Amino acid sequence: MIKKCMLIFMLTILLVVFSRTSFQAIQNIDTSSKDYYLKNTYSDTGSKNIVTGIYLDYRLFDSIFEASILIIAVSGIIFMSKKDDEVV
Amino acid sequence: MKTSQILICISRVLFPFIVLYGFYITINGHLTPGGGFQGGAILATAVLLSYFIQPEKIRNLNLLIKLEKYMFIVILIVSSISLFTRGEIFTNFLPINSSINLKSLFLTILNLFIGIKVSTGLVLVFSTFIEEGK
Repeated sequence: MIKKCMLIFMLTILLVVFSRTSFQAIQNIDTSSKDYYLKNTYSDTGSKNIVTGIYLDYRLFDSIFEASILIIAVSGIIFMSKKDDEVV
Repeated sequence: MKTSQILICISRVLFPFIVLYGFYITINGHLTPGGGFQGGAILATAVLLSYFIQPEKIRNLNLLIKLEKYMFIVILIVSSISLFTRGEIFTNFLPINSSINLKSLFLTILNLFIGIKVSTGLVLVFSTFIEEGK
């Protein structure tokens, strides 16, 4: 009973704090980076799709590590599933 | 596992269209919504459908592992050419005042490589699970 009451209490506190911060964040939004990307992406990178322009030109360093996540996951799965006398 | 004959027939019809759509999403990533990761996932579903068509066929997984590793190295090399041409690493390798059509060549090449890499990775994941579950 105490556990359930504590859980409900914590969830209510989370809801109140989250709604307060989100209402405060709506009132003062900084749009400088959005305006920069809308104006300059096509001439800088040559892509009409701004998402591709960001993840393959402005943030390519981030995107390479995103691609390396998959290779690490695949190597882990193959390591756990191979037989004892099998060499990959 | 026994697969229905209707499912096999429909899979044979759908297979080339799914491959075509996956390459379309991958190559046109800089013009329409999509890109390397999404197109690679679609290409991987085409290979998953081919397990319905010929379930007994044994595939060579070592070739796919080598392909994925070399694709990752190729992506690293293509993205770090810009250190020698522009002077800063991990951007477009063409000069900054070249034409827009020429700049989108870099995006197409990198999208294609990322698509091949992601599709081989997903194919490896579920092929390993299927081999394990036999």
